[in-house]
Amino acid sequence: MISIEDLSKHFGDLVVLKDITTEIRKGEVVSIIGPSGTGKSTLLRCLNLLETPTGGKILIDGFNLTDKKTDAPKMRQRMNMVFQSFNLFNHLSVLENLTLGPIKLKGLKKADAEAKSMELLRLVGLAEKAHSFPDELSGGQKQRVAIARCLAMEPEIILFDEPTSALDPTMVREVLSVIRRLAKDGMTMAIVTHEMDFARDVSNRVFYMDEGIIYEEGPPEQIFDNPQKERTRAFINRIRSYSCRIASRDYDLYDMNAGIETFCEKQIVPRKTRDNLLLLVEELLQVFGPQLGKIKVDLTISHLEKQDAVEVVVESTGEEGNPLETAALDDDLSLMLIRNLTASQNYRREGERNRLEFQLKS
Amino acid sequence: MEFASRVENGHSVVSLSGRLDAVTSPVCEQKFRELVGGGALGIVVDFENLEYISSAGLRALLLLAKLLKEKGGKVCLAGAKQNVRSVLEMSGFTNIFQIRDTVAEALTSVG
Repeated sequence: MISIEDLSKHFGDLVVLKDITTEIRKGEVVSIIGPSGTGKSTLLRCLNLLETPTGGKILIDGFNLTDKKTDAPKMRQRMNMVFQSFNLFNHLSVLENLTLGPIKLKGLKKADAEAKSMELLRLVGLAEKAHSFPDELSGGQKQRVAIARCLAMEPEIILFDEPTSALDPTMVREVLSVIRRLAKDGMTMAIVTHEMDFARDVSNRVFYMDEGIIYEEGPPEQIFDNPQKERTRAFINRIRSYSCRIASRDYDLYDMNAGIETFCEKQIVPRKTRDNLLLLVEELLQVFGPQLGKIKVDLTISHLEKQDAVEVVVESTGEEGNPLETAALDDDLSLMLIRNLTASQNYRREGERNRLEFQLKS
Repeated sequence: MEFASRVENGHSVVSLSGRLDAVTSPVCEQKFRELVGGGALGIVVDFENLEYISSAGLRALLLLAKLLKEKGGKVCLAGAKQNVRSVLEMSGFTNIFQIRDTVAEALTSVG
């Protein structure tokens, strides 16, 4: 359906996209993930000709979108876009936002456009807001209106540019459920997203973009569970883990707790597991406490999604030896709690560091 | 962590709320010292509003028990929520301390 051949985009000396070649097939849902500033949004904007590619071709069913002879506005109607910042017309009602395009660009009669738009508002659960203005809606409702407006143009392909990035966590779900429904109905979609669980769940294929190229592409199982390339692996590990370094006895326990709680919230770790994790971390720091300042401790918490388990790795500098056995403690309360909170404990020396691995009891 | 004490039926009831952890337990230990130093011999520690306890908090409780024992006093814990109770169980404190569901029951125990 969409073929991209050697697509490149430069902004002056800055190369944002480097000779990208790929395709998106009819009915396919492709999620585009990767670190910030790696060209994900630029790729979508080039596909919709909001940015003019520096080189290469974009073909839709064989028609070259970048060819000057092609009727680009007409081709563009086949491929509509939903933006992070909604881009609704604030001076128009919800219904007018939806009917504007079909009346002006497709020549629909007002009554027909309104009937169709009401149908779409029902689809996104907002029929009762038809006569409200965008300012009267929540962020999630605005984005659902933006999706309905996009559908009003009856596109064959929808491009989503971080559709939930500007939303509170509570509103993300309502927007994602609308996109999921479109996927189920067979709509062809390319979605730039930071919602990894959603990307895994909804996509047929995932593009991992890094430094202006599609560094790795594959089914979600490959990209999220078994990435083949180094940078993909590093990215996936980074988003699945929380890390911090403790180098002094004056560490900020509450700052660390806040980081762990945010991580647990993102990973949808149950409350009880989160409470046990916070306790485990505090007890581990009690064990290392007397040594802090002389040694450095690196803590990494990972959510192992497949096993629905939480793993804690503590790497520390200093002389060889299991810190749980060599710690100079006044009592064994911390060790007792660590033992009770964990399903497994492993120690090994790795290079110049002691490495302790724990799996939290579920 | 907030530490509030009152006298009920001739005994001291200490209500702890928030977190009893490595950061807050030194304050709690100091307050326990002051309370026992002031002559309290029967103390109920009310955990109803305590959200979290770590080994540092458990050490504060051990200190209180030790101070009271030296003076022939008694301590009883009350109202622990599930997560706090589970830390008390993991650490064996349920065998060392008297633990009751309510402050009223705990007051009877220290009386």
